[in-house]
Amino acid sequence: MIRMNGVVKRFSQQTVLSDVTFCVQKQEIFGLLGPSGAGKTTIINILTNQLQADGGSHGIDAAASETGLMLDEDGLYTRLSCVENLNVFADIYAIPRKKSLEALESVGLADAAKKPVNKLSRGMRQRLALARAILHSPKILFLDEPTSGLDPAAARGIHKLIHNLRDSGATVFLTTHNMDEAVKLCDNVALLHKGRIVEHGAPAEICERHSAMKTSPDLESVFIILTGVELE
Amino acid sequence: MSRARAIFIKQAKDMFRNPMMLIQFIIYPAVAFIMTELIAKSNPDISNNMFVTMMGAIFAGMALILSMSSVIAEDVERKSLRLLVMAGVKPHEYLLGAGGFILLAGIIVSGVFGLIGDFTGAELIKFLAVMAAATSASIVLGAIIGMLAKNRQTASAIATPLAMILGFAPMVASFNETAEKAASFLYTQQLNVLVNDFSASFSKAMAVIGVNILVLLAVFVFAYRKKGLKG
Repeated sequence: MIRMNGVVKRFSQQTVLSDVTFCVQKQEIFGLLGPSGAGKTTIINILTNQLQADGGSHGIDAAASETGLMLDEDGLYTRLSCVENLNVFADIYAIPRKKSLEALESVGLADAAKKPVNKLSRGMRQRLALARAILHSPKILFLDEPTSGLDPAAARGIHKLIHNLRDSGATVFLTTHNMDEAVKLCDNVALLHKGRIVEHGAPAEICERHSAMKTSPDLESVFIILTGVELE
Repeated sequence: MSRARAIFIKQAKDMFRNPMMLIQFIIYPAVAFIMTELIAKSNPDISNNMFVTMMGAIFAGMALILSMSSVIAEDVERKSLRLLVMAGVKPHEYLLGAGGFILLAGIIVSGVFGLIGDFTGAELIKFLAVMAAATSASIVLGAIIGMLAKNRQTASAIATPLAMILGFAPMVASFNETAEKAASFLYTQQLNVLVNDFSASFSKAMAVIGVNILVLLAVFVFAYRKKGLKG
């Protein structure tokens, strides 16, 4: 389980998160939606203890070694091959190196195992970063904009993989500014605007709650109704 | 130790595929060899070891600061360091892994300097020991600079003048008594004193270099904790 209760975060005098509260159940895909600068990455950084909150409480039911993280920047060693990149982390987690090949297979990069990272396309690098995040079979997976900049086919591949991870028992916490992606992927979402959660729940429930204001609203129009701004 | 080993192996593979890094470990002994063969051996007024000790001191005291700062700054810049910290890699494991390989390469290059030079057995041992100690200090200092820099360009901008100050302090010290007293606390001065005069106090030089390393290690641990996750 992942939980945040009344979390506040300030950078200098600017408040970037105000009273952020949500709960993510085990084996759930939870999406944090909001435009750039809404505070999505800050929430991931707080949950993964990369940042300290200035108020409120938060926690995850997993040790640091049981979490996987995919950052907005891939952090790959560009002169090493795909499998060498994963082997570095396999050795750090003290798991067999054959897991590296399994992880590459699961993201469809088995054929590129020996290819240097600096020869990969952006989509392939994203998939490799995801392979690194799932290498040690984490209980909780944090994915910061996992399909950002990918073509639709590559994004679909990542979506399928995220569903498979959930089905195999992982809890997935992702951020996105793509409403369609959130509807397709997430069991529950929270809409974040200027550091505040303005709505949360299952995508269909959220749309239902706001149907009085617009006929058959989608998440995008709900966000516009609530905040007055467009997401993308 | 498995985490330090993982980073050591990564660093080894990475360095052999990075020509800019590799050349730093080849150019100094190559220049020392050429100058020794072409100038020192044909000129009776110049010691056979003059260019070996000069290039050796520049390599251990200056070049390795730039190499190490570049390695760490690259990890900070591409956020690899943050992922390592998140995976549970501790400061000493990271330094042992990344710096360990540079240290090993530095010791091998020091051995090459030793082979080029005209040392007696005891002199060679002292030379290798002081080179290894100065190499260690430069690696930790380079790691601090790399850790505190935002990217490789910034690291280079900080490391280059600092390396020059440390590298040229012994030269200034040889002309000015006050500068000599101040420089005696620097590991580069002790390196320079010892490689140029093997009758100088070995234990004093090694003690000063040891204190330099300890102080730098403390700063590195602080920098890693402060910047490791922000990188």
